Amino acid sequence: MEETKQLLKGNYAIAQAAINAGCECYFGYPITPQTEIGEYLSEKMYELNRGYVCAESELAAINMVIGAVSTGAKAMTSSSSCAVALMQEALSYACSDELPVVLVNVMRAGPGLGYIYPAQGDYNQTVYGGGNGDYKLTVLAPSTVQECIDLTYKAFYLAQKYRNPTVLLADGLLGQMMEPAVFGEYPYPEIDNSSWALTGAKGRAGRRIRSLAPDENEQIIHVEKLFEKYEIIANETTEWEEFGCEDADVILVAFGSMTRNIKAAMRVLRKEGLKVGVFRPITLSPFPDKRLNELADKCEKFIVVEMNMGQMIRDVKLAVNGKSSVDLINRPVGQWLSVEEITDGVKKIVLEKIHAGV
Amino acid sequence: MQVFKIPNSIKKGSMYTFCSGCDHGIAVRLAAELIDELNLKEKTICTTSIGCSVFLYDFLDVDCIEAPHGRAMAEATGVKRARPDKFVFTYQGDGDFASIGLAESTHAALRGENLTGICINNTTYGMTGGQLGPTTILGQKTTTSPMGRFKETYGYPVKIAEHIALCEGTAYSARVALDTITHINEAKKALKKAYQVQLDGLGYGFVEILSTCPTNWKMTPEEAHERVRNELIPVFPLGVYKDITA
Amino acid sequence: MEKNYIIAGFGGQGVLFAGKILANAFMLCGKNVTWYPCYGAEMRGGTVNCEIVVSDEEVSSVHKQDADCVIALNQLSFDRFISKIKKAGHIICNSSLIKEEKTRNDINYTFFPMTDAASGIGNYKPANMVALGVLSNIEKILSVDILKKAIDIVLPDDRKKLAGFNIEAILSGYENLLPAC
Repeated sequence: MEETKQLLKGNYAIAQAAINAGCECYFGYPITPQTEIGEYLSEKMYELNRGYVCAESELAAINMVIGAVSTGAKAMTSSSSCAVALMQEALSYACSDELPVVLVNVMRAGPGLGYIYPAQGDYNQTVYGGGNGDYKLTVLAPSTVQECIDLTYKAFYLAQKYRNPTVLLADGLLGQMMEPAVFGEYPYPEIDNSSWALTGAKGRAGRRIRSLAPDENEQIIHVEKLFEKYEIIANETTEWEEFGCEDADVILVAFGSMTRNIKAAMRVLRKEGLKVGVFRPITLSPFPDKRLNELADKCEKFIVVEMNMGQMIRDVKLAVNGKSSVDLINRPVGQWLSVEEITDGVKKIVLEKIHAGV
Repeated sequence: MQVFKIPNSIKKGSMYTFCSGCDHGIAVRLAAELIDELNLKEKTICTTSIGCSVFLYDFLDVDCIEAPHGRAMAEATGVKRARPDKFVFTYQGDGDFASIGLAESTHAALRGENLTGICINNTTYGMTGGQLGPTTILGQKTTTSPMGRFKETYGYPVKIAEHIALCEGTAYSARVALDTITHINEAKKALKKAYQVQLDGLGYGFVEILSTCPTNWKMTPEEAHERVRNELIPVFPLGVYKDITA
Repeated sequence: MEKNYIIAGFGGQGVLFAGKILANAFMLCGKNVTWYPCYGAEMRGGTVNCEIVVSDEEVSSVHKQDADCVIALNQLSFDRFISKIKKAGHIICNSSLIKEEKTRNDINYTFFPMTDAASGIGNYKPANMVALGVLSNIEKILSVDILKKAIDIVLPDDRKKLAGFNIEAILSGYENLLPAC
């Protein structure tokens, strides 16, 4: 029988999906607007006899996750923007150590302490990283509560499969809103990690997981190997959603919950006769740059819509590589750009281009 | 006749890269001997730290994970919560344990994590060349306190074993030294106790080991051990500060 | 066709709870729906609100700058949201706590003494449910039966015994609303 839809809050959906995905340990520190994840799991993990620690800080929380996943267990932490900033060092370590850390970031406003209202200002922090050295996280961006569930499942799977820290990049709007959704079952196979996990040196030499690299040549080989892996991740997991891009004169690009608004703007503008398409990266890292580049062969105008001062727009510009114009409709934080603001912005940009003869 | 041999859980053919006269070598050996004696090799997971202690995993033939600076106790907590059947210990310097990692160290003790912490206190940051650390004693000259540590600018050193003993989740906390055979034997007994409380599920076991750093102290090994005796032990008295099994 | 509702009132008036029932009811009607609360420190000023968006298509913006319909349970909420209502939109007011003044003439008003009606059935608290009853009378798609089912979904097991009282409050709003004058 098909599971009946329930009206679910994004934060609870993520938390329960983590349980369904087999998360054995959760470590966290409170911060609005994601605190409900830790609250929900405190009770559920106890009932299920799984690990739960109210960590003393985000530094501790993410390092507890590293410790747990180093043994082959599935584990995660969740936090928000300014507190995720505290975790950047550990994420760099976890990339170098090739550990399947899962981190949920329910974004709030910044910079600095900012405030609890939603924003999308962590694109750069997450995709380009605030940690040191050359590394890439795998980053998934849900746009609905249903995707909060589906992409939490996927985050655990991709983290394990590629042994790379994976981030679910949601925002305060998704964390706090309710929407009908179904959990289904964790749809991915379990990954055998017996070849590397720390389980005690039984019948084998002791294993060591480390990022210290006193030997320059070893470090070169290690980093090149990591980047070969990132290439494989890009080839196998890059995911996006597109509507009406084939015949579009203008393609709107957004990630996360802003996608809802650009889809509605597309419907309005199409009715008014403007051929508008919608493109949404689901994986922000790896970024669907090849597809955007293909679309740029036919479409001359891309407009990025985001709740920050223009972060993803850099990746869109790199992807289209000068073939098309790339404009921005944005607001730094707070009230999401309305459908009207987007349609007005698109019309203004398109008219300006016509006047300028572009 | 007892033949001196290398403990089983020390990697065959490995060579210590510590400086001559450094007590790290003795401390690692004691930790390894006890892993053998308590038959823990196959169930041990160690978290190492940043500083000279990081090299532990070059010598110990057990599963090891290297934590970012100060986070060894957080990683150890993660390991233990995920795999409560394993024997989990950290091996840290005083800077890692009691300066940058003081929050993690203290909270692991407060939570009563079933973990064992070993902290090597040599009153300086050894790996970076002898700077003022959390345990540098008053009057001690370092590269960042060339006039000596005076309280008006640098404040006071932390008494780690006493601090950890104050935490309710701590089952055992002691301070030992490695300057004499007697002290080394006592150190091993203390370490064994710190291992055992974890194995018995009693809580947090901790040993602070007063150690030498002849290179940065600019002393011979003998002079360094005399300094431990004459200058450090009076400031950091040896002894058991908490033992819930006593 | 997309429509959004804001429910607003004092903390303790059951604003978020009523919103959840409304959102569940729309879900049971087969609509796409979202519920979005004010949260965190925003709630500490004493007023609470949540927004429900209903659509035949995928819901677009979850948190909009204007509203088709506002249910105001106290004067502060009336004052805060009156200007946000779209032209030809609707405000449903708890006239037990809100002055019956029509400060705009381009919107529709419904005044109903919700707190008094709730007190009339024994307790002032379910004024929020009276409000849903009034809304049910206005929005034909939201039948009392659907609201009953939604209450059953939203009430946790240990509070299911309150369902009857809540339904009585809904009926008192539904049955006693006079035709718009």
